[in-house]
Amino acid sequence: MATLSINGVRKSFGSLEVLKNIDLELEDGGFLVLLGPSGCGKSTLLSIIAGLEPSSGGDILIGDRNVNDVHPKDRNIAMVFQSYALYPTMPVRRNIGFGLEMRKVPQTERDAAVQKAAELLQIEHLLDRKPAQLSGGQRQRVAMGRAIVRDPDLFLFDEPLSNLDAKLRVEMRTEIKRLHDRLGTSVVYVTHDQVEAMTLGTKVAVMREGVIQQIADPQTIYERPANMFVAGFIGSPTMNFLAGTLEKDGETFVLRHGDGVLPLPGLAQDVGPYAGRKVVAGIRPESISAGNGPSTLSGKVDVVEPTGPDTMVIVSVGGQLITARLGSRDRPKLGETLTLAVNAVEVNLFDPESGNRI
Amino acid sequence: MAQTRSGSKLLWDLIAYAVLILLALVCVFPIIWTFLTSIKVEEDIVTRNMIYIPTRFTFDWYVRLWNQSGYPVLVMNSLITTSVTVLICLLTGTIASYSFSRFNFAGRTQLMLGYLVVRMFPAVLMIIPLFMVMRNFGLLDSSVGLAVAYTSFLLPLFVWMLKGFFDAAPKELESAARIDGSTRIGAMFRIVIPIARNGLVATCVFVAIAAWNEYLFALMLTTSQGSRTWPVGLQLMVGEFQLPWGMLAAGGIISIIPVIVLFALVQRVMVAGITAGAVKG
Repeated sequence: MATLSINGVRKSFGSLEVLKNIDLELEDGGFLVLLGPSGCGKSTLLSIIAGLEPSSGGDILIGDRNVNDVHPKDRNIAMVFQSYALYPTMPVRRNIGFGLEMRKVPQTERDAAVQKAAELLQIEHLLDRKPAQLSGGQRQRVAMGRAIVRDPDLFLFDEPLSNLDAKLRVEMRTEIKRLHDRLGTSVVYVTHDQVEAMTLGTKVAVMREGVIQQIADPQTIYERPANMFVAGFIGSPTMNFLAGTLEKDGETFVLRHGDGVLPLPGLAQDVGPYAGRKVVAGIRPESISAGNGPSTLSGKVDVVEPTGPDTMVIVSVGGQLITARLGSRDRPKLGETLTLAVNAVEVNLFDPESGNRI
Repeated sequence: MAQTRSGSKLLWDLIAYAVLILLALVCVFPIIWTFLTSIKVEEDIVTRNMIYIPTRFTFDWYVRLWNQSGYPVLVMNSLITTSVTVLICLLTGTIASYSFSRFNFAGRTQLMLGYLVVRMFPAVLMIIPLFMVMRNFGLLDSSVGLAVAYTSFLLPLFVWMLKGFFDAAPKELESAARIDGSTRIGAMFRIVIPIARNGLVATCVFVAIAAWNEYLFALMLTTSQGSRTWPVGLQLMVGEFQLPWGMLAAGGIISIIPVIVLFALVQRVMVAGITAGAVKG
């Protein structure tokens, strides 16, 4: 187990800068998720942490040790790849034990460690098979076995669940969480799947174009996104953005949008200086319910999407489309005028120019 | 309608098979003819009317060739030259193609192109400078010298072919091996080469066959029985006043046996190597 510190790490490929001054801290035993769309630089950052790719500047510390010039094999890390990267010519037993073999661990000790890892992952019966004879989920387990057998300081996961089908992905996600709780080893986990990020991470770093947009615990990222990019990236369906002008009405603020007014009592932000200016209100579909309340929106029903447990209703509010997550029994008719109650405490206001949360 | 379509499909199949069988016959006929000639008696070979099937069978040509013409030495020389050529290619070419496949160093593209350009020129152009180089280094008329000369034009083929096989091996495997405790070169030997094994065998067989059958360089760079290879030896049997057809045919048949044996041994591996990555695995 160890901490991880990344200080001012940069990476350029020619004139293209893919990582810009990255600073990160991971506590001992923490689970850091690097989350972002394709091409945001998260996998490159992971490769730099692993030592597979040199950085163009900055420092990486695992524990107290600066590992900038340390070979991957001497960093005491283990990595699980998206493609599993199992050695196709070796049986599972040797695949898992390969790291120990390279470190010249005696055969008996090695066998015991492989057996223990296999038991933990319930793959004892697969030890003599070749990777080609395994299913996707089994390969994933073997890849994890190879990582845990060496008892490393740090686990690196590079989109490990992307190649699995939906059901298996959920199972393996639980498995990874259980494994982390049990082993307590620090983890850096790269994904573009926000559900994985929210369920697994103790800390989530949302990245975009080589820049970290926000680092926080999953709940903060969800409830108080630092900017409109993070707000839009996290959550499904995505957060609604309602543009308007912020006005003060007595003690409370209101958002004047098109023809309507949305009162915002109990707003969690200090928005005083923005009175009279244009703002964007970020409203999660989950913060909207059918019916009346202190803050309401009304508009014509545009689309109704039943998903089983919920019904997603898209309403046109003064020309702006707002998605609401309503109960499974709520089935408004198309074209009907619907009144929706907004939980104003959960509303975030953003500066439309910078996109940042006010 | 369906019947017409299947009828025309049948017709096309027939035409295709006919063409293929014809082509196969064209390819196989010289070999069969050479074999038949090698087991004919002299009177059946030189005749006024063509005799296809021998009237009497004899292995006399093989015995005479083996005992009187020094053919075993020629075959042995060819074996040595071919083995040394493959060995040099294997030792230098494997590392070269691995670095072409994995590293992005300055001049990489130019070097790869240079390897191709070497193969664009006819061998005749290279022979005279090569002859002078070999003479200066005292490598004329030696099996090793000939192998070095063969390497000059077979190594590019080896490197280009093997690079394709290395490219097909996923890079993550080496990353995994490096994290597991291997060095780069260790990862290459432990992980990449076992994966590209079929390709390596296929490439070696191609080079071996090219070296085994080579004639022009061997003619120019060898002068004595001590290093001469079989294609040159066979050609030198053709005298001003004699043309020992039977012996030439026997020599031809003996010389293709190692190639056939090699193909038979590695055929499955080779086909697997050549078609590797062609379809989703």
